[in-house]
Amino acid sequence: MGSLIQQIINGLSLGSVYALIAVGYSLVYSVLLFSNFAHGGFLVIGGYICYYALLKGGANIWVASLAALIGSGLSAVAVERMAYKPIRERTSVTLYMLIASMGMSIVIENIFVVTIGGRFRALPPVIPMRTVNILGVASTSASDLLSLAAAVVFLVGLQLFLSKTKWGLAIRAASYNLRIAGLMGVNVNMLISLVFFVAGLLAAIGGIFLSARYSLYPQLGVITTKAFVAAVIGGLGSLPGAVVGSLILGLAEMLAAGFLSSQFRDLIVFGLLIITLIVRPTGLFGKSVGEKV
Amino acid sequence: MNEETAYYEPLQQQRPLLSVKNLSVNYGAIKALKGVSLDVNSGEIVAVIGANGAGKSTLMTAIMGDIRRSGGQILLNGLPLPERSYQVVSAGVSLSPEGRKLFAPLTVYENLEMGAFPLKDKNEIREQMSHVYELFPRLEERAGQYAGTLSGGEQQMLAIGRALMAKPSVLLLDEPSLGLAPIIITEIFKELTAINKTLGMTILIVEQNANKALMLSHRAYVLQTGTIVMEGRSKDLLSNPEIEEAYLGGKKHQ
Repeated sequence: MGSLIQQIINGLSLGSVYALIAVGYSLVYSVLLFSNFAHGGFLVIGGYICYYALLKGGANIWVASLAALIGSGLSAVAVERMAYKPIRERTSVTLYMLIASMGMSIVIENIFVVTIGGRFRALPPVIPMRTVNILGVASTSASDLLSLAAAVVFLVGLQLFLSKTKWGLAIRAASYNLRIAGLMGVNVNMLISLVFFVAGLLAAIGGIFLSARYSLYPQLGVITTKAFVAAVIGGLGSLPGAVVGSLILGLAEMLAAGFLSSQFRDLIVFGLLIITLIVRPTGLFGKSVGEKV
Repeated sequence: MNEETAYYEPLQQQRPLLSVKNLSVNYGAIKALKGVSLDVNSGEIVAVIGANGAGKSTLMTAIMGDIRRSGGQILLNGLPLPERSYQVVSAGVSLSPEGRKLFAPLTVYENLEMGAFPLKDKNEIREQMSHVYELFPRLEERAGQYAGTLSGGEQQMLAIGRALMAKPSVLLLDEPSLGLAPIIITEIFKELTAINKTLGMTILIVEQNANKALMLSHRAYVLQTGTIVMEGRSKDLLSNPEIEEAYLGGKKHQ
């Protein structure tokens, strides 16, 4: 019983990190209808900014995280301006943006390899890793609980932003029909930049927790494959779907690791993806993409 | 309505509120608009009628800056209208698009809020909202309902209301009768007359339903394969045998 609760907590914690990344994927997808495979790059950028702010800048974790969030958000905006905007202004075929995003993913990864090297780095111990006992039935690391709490705070914050503010409303409208949102007087380029900024910011939080838990290296962004799978299971373009999909995936992975073998983790992840694609291709909360000119 | 046409004639000597000069639009090699010119005076309802594919919707989207113009000029109050959609709306031209194009997963209220996006002042938005609710009380009843669940007529009212929310000086309507039952069309067009009279709203409407559009409007243009082939006072066009033949199905009154 204790180990079940333990695995559930671990699963939720892992799922919450996936959720931060998956929500960014879904947000971009819902507005521009393509999967941004450079998303993992934003996570790595956030991780490195945090690392250098802590180590070279002498900042505390709060300042370093803030710098990472903003830096990653701005890089996401820059990637959009450089790689995607020229494409979407010329054609409505979103496949080209998908291909460009694969290219940008390689570019970002290799910028880090070339400039600071591909070796693994460990964040200074700024995020508490000590073991926390939960009501005597399970124990987990403080960082897991922190990542869960951070994910809840930011996801609730995102939900409030989307439901209560003018630009949040505009993003929801644009995720239904970007062109018509433009006809309502919304500056579409500004809206897309905002969406990328938010996506980059959320990815950076995931990046900080992942590099604290494991280590930081230029290919850390590969983990976004899992978040992408979670977004697909939840239904690409749906934010609640991304969160639910992430939690399902985190739980499935940790329960598999705990009760079967940790070698089954990826098998379970991709098994769930395949089942979803066969049974419900649009995902749990997916919107069917109909006409969109 | 036709008696009033005379009232608007002196206005025509003034500078038109919206003036389209020699507007051309190409889709690749296809010329959708070949030098279209038209004027809309303050307080007028101007109709553009034409068959499918004549370029009516292209004209609307080109004015809105939603597609690139390849030539010509559009003036609002004598000043060039900006080329980007969001600037066009801020400048004072808003569109109720063809096929309504509501934000189906948003509520009626949120759709209206979206229409007011360029407005900064909260009081101004509330005031516009009450104007729209006054015109279409049914929208107020259904404020919390998702736009996608409204009936066709209600959706059209919401599309018009949403466009009015931006407080435009010229309201563009693209095929407001599309896909609606005749009785609903009559209701909608009655509201359009009211919007024009009580709010003094200047309206440019494109319609396939030539009869309704000509009954509603003060002046009209006939668009054929990207060119204006005829223009005049709507009541004159209604009794023009050529128009009757081509657009009114050979009978003047339905």
